[in-house]
Amino acid sequence: MNLREKLRAVGGNGGGQKAAAGEVFTDCRHFAVYRPEEEFPGARELTAETLRMMSDREIPERLDPRRILYLDTETTGLGGSGTVAFLVGMGFLTDRGFEVHQFLMRDYPEEPFLLKHVANGLGKFDVLCTFNGTTFDVPLLESRFLMNRMDRSCLEMPHIDLLHLCRRLWKLRLGRCNLGRLEEIILGKPRTDDLPGSEVPQRYFTYLKTGQMSLLDDILKHNAQDIASLCVLLNHMADLYLHPEKIRFSEDVYSMGRALERMNRTENARHCYRLARKGRMSAPAGAALAMSYRRAGEREEAAAVWREMIREKRGGVTPYVELAKYEEHIRRDARTALEWTEQALMLISEPALRESGTVQESKNELQYRRQRLMRKLKELEKDGIHDGDQGREGAAPAEGRDKQGRSDPPV
Amino acid sequence: MNVSQLADQLRRDHLFMKDVTRWEVIPARSARTAPFPSCMDERLKPALEKRGIYELYIHQARSLEATARGEDVTVVTPTASGKTMCYNLPVLSEILKDEDSRALYLFPTKALSADQVSELYDMIEEMGVDIKTYTYDGDTPAAARKAIRQAGHIVVTNPDMLHSGILPHHTKWVKLFENLRYIVIDEIHTYRGVFGSNLANVLRRLLRLCEFYGSCPRFILCSATIANPQELAETLIGRPVTLIDENGAPMGERHFVFYNPPVVNRQLGIRQGAIPVTRTITSMLLKNGIQSITFARSRLTVEVLTRYLKDLVRDPLGNAGRVRGYRGGYLPGERREIERGLRSGQVDAVVSTNALELGIDIGALDACVMCGYPGTIASAWQQAGRAGRRQGTSIVFFVASSAAIDQYIVNHPDYLLHQSPENALLNPDNLYVLLSHFKCAAFELPFEDGDRFGNAPGTEELLGYLSEEGIVRHVDGKYHWSAEDFPASEISLRSASSENFIIVDITDAAHHRVVGEMDRFTAPMLLHENAIYMHEGKQYQVEKLDFDACKAFIRSVDVGYYTDADLNINLSLLDIEKEEPFAGTASAALGEIKVTALVTMFKKIKFDTHENLGFGHVRLPETDMHTTAMWWTLPDALAEKLSGDRLKNGMMGVANLLRIVCPLYLMCAPQDVAVVYQVRSPITDKPTVILYDNCPGGIGLAQKAFSMRELLLEKALQVAEDCPCSYGCPSCVGPVGEVGEDGKRTAIRLLKELTK
Repeated sequence: MNLREKLRAVGGNGGGQKAAAGEVFTDCRHFAVYRPEEEFPGARELTAETLRMMSDREIPERLDPRRILYLDTETTGLGGSGTVAFLVGMGFLTDRGFEVHQFLMRDYPEEPFLLKHVANGLGKFDVLCTFNGTTFDVPLLESRFLMNRMDRSCLEMPHIDLLHLCRRLWKLRLGRCNLGRLEEIILGKPRTDDLPGSEVPQRYFTYLKTGQMSLLDDILKHNAQDIASLCVLLNHMADLYLHPEKIRFSEDVYSMGRALERMNRTENARHCYRLARKGRMSAPAGAALAMSYRRAGEREEAAAVWREMIREKRGGVTPYVELAKYEEHIRRDARTALEWTEQALMLISEPALRESGTVQESKNELQYRRQRLMRKLKELEKDGIHDGDQGREGAAPAEGRDKQGRSDPPV
Repeated sequence: MNVSQLADQLRRDHLFMKDVTRWEVIPARSARTAPFPSCMDERLKPALEKRGIYELYIHQARSLEATARGEDVTVVTPTASGKTMCYNLPVLSEILKDEDSRALYLFPTKALSADQVSELYDMIEEMGVDIKTYTYDGDTPAAARKAIRQAGHIVVTNPDMLHSGILPHHTKWVKLFENLRYIVIDEIHTYRGVFGSNLANVLRRLLRLCEFYGSCPRFILCSATIANPQELAETLIGRPVTLIDENGAPMGERHFVFYNPPVVNRQLGIRQGAIPVTRTITSMLLKNGIQSITFARSRLTVEVLTRYLKDLVRDPLGNAGRVRGYRGGYLPGERREIERGLRSGQVDAVVSTNALELGIDIGALDACVMCGYPGTIASAWQQAGRAGRRQGTSIVFFVASSAAIDQYIVNHPDYLLHQSPENALLNPDNLYVLLSHFKCAAFELPFEDGDRFGNAPGTEELLGYLSEEGIVRHVDGKYHWSAEDFPASEISLRSASSENFIIVDITDAAHHRVVGEMDRFTAPMLLHENAIYMHEGKQYQVEKLDFDACKAFIRSVDVGYYTDADLNINLSLLDIEKEEPFAGTASAALGEIKVTALVTMFKKIKFDTHENLGFGHVRLPETDMHTTAMWWTLPDALAEKLSGDRLKNGMMGVANLLRIVCPLYLMCAPQDVAVVYQVRSPITDKPTVILYDNCPGGIGLAQKAFSMRELLLEKALQVAEDCPCSYGCPSCVGPVGEVGEDGKRTAIRLLKELTK
């Protein structure tokens, strides 16, 4: 066997391919798609302030929504330096509507041209918007610039990755947050006869082998649609951030509260929690609201929410425990703290509340708390001091910590 | 009693000494040093002096000087000779001079890298400089990876991670590749066979990328004592190296005792087993408070011995913990705990497979017991090196089993003491290996017309083949990767298969736990259903082996036996490369074959007496391997003169003899080659003895054997004729019970005919 035959014996055998010889490559292929502005409600009104509620990226002060670039790539694989972005689509708002410009590499030698168009394109915008671009598209393009020994600093610009923003908002309700699901469930526009993303690389390789450009129509359509969806999604989301009361699902409004809290928008977050208190998410929203007050040092307001939750019989044992902490450490009322603790213990013994293995743990903790409180009360009686007459927390530093070294979360 | 006293006492013990075939005393050696060379950065001096180092051992100084001259170096050092300084000093020196410099450290295992890095940290801390050293492997948290890629001066990793985690993503490692000055590869003697052939190709890929980024790193390689460190190093990196093999480190006096257990049945040539003898010697060491390490050849023996020794010291205070087992398959945390115990002296005796041969830091011990020959001279010295402090006496016992190779060693101690150790063979151009890495290389950076892949042959054919397959696309003078696959994920560097079996203990139904793992080729042997699996001396029975999911479920049991599986091998011919007639009408050939392995049954063997208690069936799928082979075909005329049984027995004898001789003359481990005989071989349709490389694609052993085809037969004949037994014994053609009364005679006759 010669080497070639041996290679065939070692591997399998597939169809050969050969590029046309002698072809001169001078540019890549360009396509343009225009969509009417009506398909992108609110896109022109988008402001920097709204974007800052959603993302912690540095958004320029006077943001022109026409200077946001929506970008998506189609690639030959899932990453690594052998993966190439053969199609890069870039969409943006103009006075005429929404334009998508697509640059296609018809064969490998066209890649430098494609990258040059991408670099030029990026240079004209202030903010980049992608779906999963932080982990995929941008590092991939960086890698391609590097492999072609081209400058990749054009990619350094504020970048809004919609995947992360969408996950914050909808993961609780939807679980997986891929673009297809979001279009179907959130935007209510399921895609029909779309080419699945997983088939894109093979389709491109088939095109390379056969040279049939029509094979790429589906990919171009798919890419343009993805880019349009980015713009619709971002503006839909902006609308919800501005008007949380429009949100129909309490999971989503609760999630928005969490997201806003992350952005240090405490007031907006509390507004969402209050909205979410009305629905299925009442208990976690209440707890989040109370914790938000607690973190801000507004202990009275926090306690009020806990009491409200107890009245509504929501939130299980947590409100009791939190009220016990509040009475013990803030109000310094050991007797009331003991009452809340006793109630919590009674509640936790009800079989209906048995949720998980953590129950036993909280039970133990409650029992420690009860013992400590009873000890405190005994000492107080012995010393003839009445409740609430003690000094500040600092006077008795060991009080908040029991024998096991456990302590309540920092006040 | 300390070691010297124990040695004196044993030497006066006639009963013990009658079975000692040699008591070699290796005298103490004093240190040979050199002053700090001028090329070493000044800032290193105070840091070294703080550790009490005012001069270097000569090998450390030579390494600094040679690297400063810009040479690639290979340092050969025995255990505990201050090897890490040979690379840490040049690397730190370089980074101190130019803080942009980067270095890459490769260790064969994660455990080793953890160990060596801690020493590096100490040096850096003492100097108070900002040199960042990071370990980058499968355990590195995702959050830390970015910082490592950007800022790590010294990146410590293993070949597997370099192969699948770094090279295919090289664009994320620009800083490293652009500024790479040194590539340090420790323990290069472990890179032989498949692993070495893979690493050589990983390095071809690495150097190709360095060229792309415009860096030209130098290599510092370290090896334990082997016959051909320079050749190995040069094959690995594909360019010439400077060899540094003068060892300047001191060593205390060492006793090397060769012990051959007494014969218990002279007719059958059966000796007392090595395990009970090892048990006695190790118990003696344990009782005298001498810290020892015992090496056993199989995982099974490790477990059996551990159990015996634990029973000896077991008491209500938990002293059983003073004895520990150690082998591949224990989880990392457990292993670290044992290593710490050895260093701190909390563990008095450890029983290990060759897993502890490598440079894992367990400190120096007083005594080493080898239960059976580890298979190579290099391994034997690595194991012996575990005992031996820089000062003070140490002792090594070699206990021979009745295996032929052990008997050869114990009766010819000079072979071990004075023969040069084995060659480490590897074949970077093994077609399987080369093709796989060639794909990875094409993925990482397109080949251009006229490019070469290191010094690999046939770049053009490979590219032509990949184009034909549609894996790369040749256009405008470049070969672009044009497949969806991620080729690095298709290769495992250490074996032909990447999947490991997970071993799950289901004794506690509510709390299943993973106790270990095992490679795909060993799993059918040790984890088939109803096998007794031993872990830290505890017995488990395998309840279920899920072959597809790569999981074995075991349950704790307490039975008086262990199990041993039978492996069935089938061969078929793929291609004949060469065929040469010899000795009249006999012929020898070299070619490629397919080996199919299948476990069909297992035996139950009673503890202590080692009686056979019965057997069971195993139903598992077979595994395939393509490899290179050479074979000797007997002339028809000779075969016709012998009855079927006599021919079979004679051939079995010849195969057994070749199994003894081949590893010695091919300078490889016995498990690296397999020798089988077939009375009517499907390969030649004639009586044939076949030798093959025991790994996919082969590493060149069959080629070497083919070039020595007549010599090997002569040596086999010599072993048979020199052996004093009358009808065969395990040290030559095999025991009479196996080869029959006329086995030895027929084997000698066949060999005589073939070597005429």
